[in-house]
Amino acid sequence: MTALLHLWGGYVRLTARWPVIATLVPFMPVLALWWFVTAIEVFPRVFLPGPADVARSFAALMYKGILPDYLQDSVVRLAVGAFWGTVLGIPLGLLIGLSQRAHTALWPLLLFFQAIGDIAWLAILVIWFGYGLVTMTFVIVYTVIFPVVLNTVLGVRSIPVNMHRAALSLGASRLRIVWEVVLPGALPNIITGLRNGLGYGWRALIAAEIIVGTSGIGFMMFDARRAGSVVEILLGMIILGILWYIVDNWILAPIERATGQRWGLVTR
Amino acid sequence: MKDLAIRNLSKTYFDPYAGTNVTAVHDVSFTVKQGEFVSVVGPSGCGKTTILNMIAGFLPVSGGEIRVGGKTVTGPGPDRGVVFQSFALFPWRTVLDNVAFGPKMRGVPKAERERIARDYLALAKLSEAEGRYPTELSGGMQQRVGVVRALANEPDVLLMDEPFASVDAQTRMTLQEELTRIWQEKRSTVLFITHDVAEAVFLADRVIVLSKGRVLKELDVTLPRPRVWDALHEDAAFKALTGQVLGLVRSA
Repeated sequence: MTALLHLWGGYVRLTARWPVIATLVPFMPVLALWWFVTAIEVFPRVFLPGPADVARSFAALMYKGILPDYLQDSVVRLAVGAFWGTVLGIPLGLLIGLSQRAHTALWPLLLFFQAIGDIAWLAILVIWFGYGLVTMTFVIVYTVIFPVVLNTVLGVRSIPVNMHRAALSLGASRLRIVWEVVLPGALPNIITGLRNGLGYGWRALIAAEIIVGTSGIGFMMFDARRAGSVVEILLGMIILGILWYIVDNWILAPIERATGQRWGLVTR
Repeated sequence: MKDLAIRNLSKTYFDPYAGTNVTAVHDVSFTVKQGEFVSVVGPSGCGKTTILNMIAGFLPVSGGEIRVGGKTVTGPGPDRGVVFQSFALFPWRTVLDNVAFGPKMRGVPKAERERIARDYLALAKLSEAEGRYPTELSGGMQQRVGVVRALANEPDVLLMDEPFASVDAQTRMTLQEELTRIWQEKRSTVLFITHDVAEAVFLADRVIVLSKGRVLKELDVTLPRPRVWDALHEDAAFKALTGQVLGLVRSA
């Protein structure tokens, strides 16, 4: 028991020095199990390739330049969609959160259109805009915007009324308060909305690429299905997971640490 | 003179649960002269916070008038600084930036407003904490920041709404002593709302006892300043006065 505790303590110290270890170690058992199942050939190799096969496929596709191109296409699509979803979603959320009139006018619309899933739009979007970036961007913006708006509204409404009063009594104008009080006060919720929105957007992008794509990770996976290449499908799935981990860990988490957590509005 | 004058103030609001109009403040009149420290004391529900919220401009008046330096109050404004029971500091701003917020809204340049903020922080012995965020401070320190944030904007009147009700008893006594010290230095015009009788008497030049939305009595406090608890605890005049106010509040 004590030996186990010592081992655990050593592991915790190790991960404090090299955080990347904390990321990699939990995947070891999964990898080992995967390797084991494929090594004893429970399923035929063509149906379930092993880790080594996927790694080889990764190297080959990287070498041919297909994977970097597809990766870039997917990431750019997500970035463009997320940008517009954020740029449109935050002001809309602030408006609905601050103005009762805007809330009355827009809330039913918001709920109605939220219910029409992003993918449900694809049929009509392909007729309108064809198989291009516009269709993709529309779908991602559509997915990102709802969580951003809804969480921004929640954030705006959770700011204590005395915060507004304090700012007014210190001479801030109503317009100034939006920038000085409402935006920072709602920021932790806005980031939650962004995190949800990007997560949904990422999934929507893959779905859109599968249905209307001519490139991208989703397209690669669905294209591989036609060729019966399970190895590339698995590779695509792994890349999706890793990319999301990077976005969350390198972009969203640092923003969260620098704002809500730093200010004590969100617990660590 | 920047006096705070309240004439025939009343507040009636509709209670949607009872389905009737409720009058929280009836025909209240009093004046706080420039440089005077006035406490308003009364049991919860006596209308004291409603009065303060109307003076601050957070609530519209139902009748009567509030004037600051002769100008009728129509909404919140920097001529009336407010210290809240819940502190209401901006968690996303450091202590220094919280205190510099008022001057910033007035358009004071950065270097100048930081100098002002540092002066006021030094006054409240908070210089060490200027780079910290409010949630990193104790309740007592947060409210010191709340007080100097309001003072740094140099309001005509300082409105304090039970500011020390949410800190522990020992800290509260320290804060009360510090407030009288700072007040003597700055000679601000202060309206201080509290339900704590000893606090009301300790701080003020005059105590207004409120009951059921009406002024029950006004009492002058002539105790010498500076006031410190060690001296006043056993002081006969202090005891007599708090006894009298307590009797009024309890009979209310």
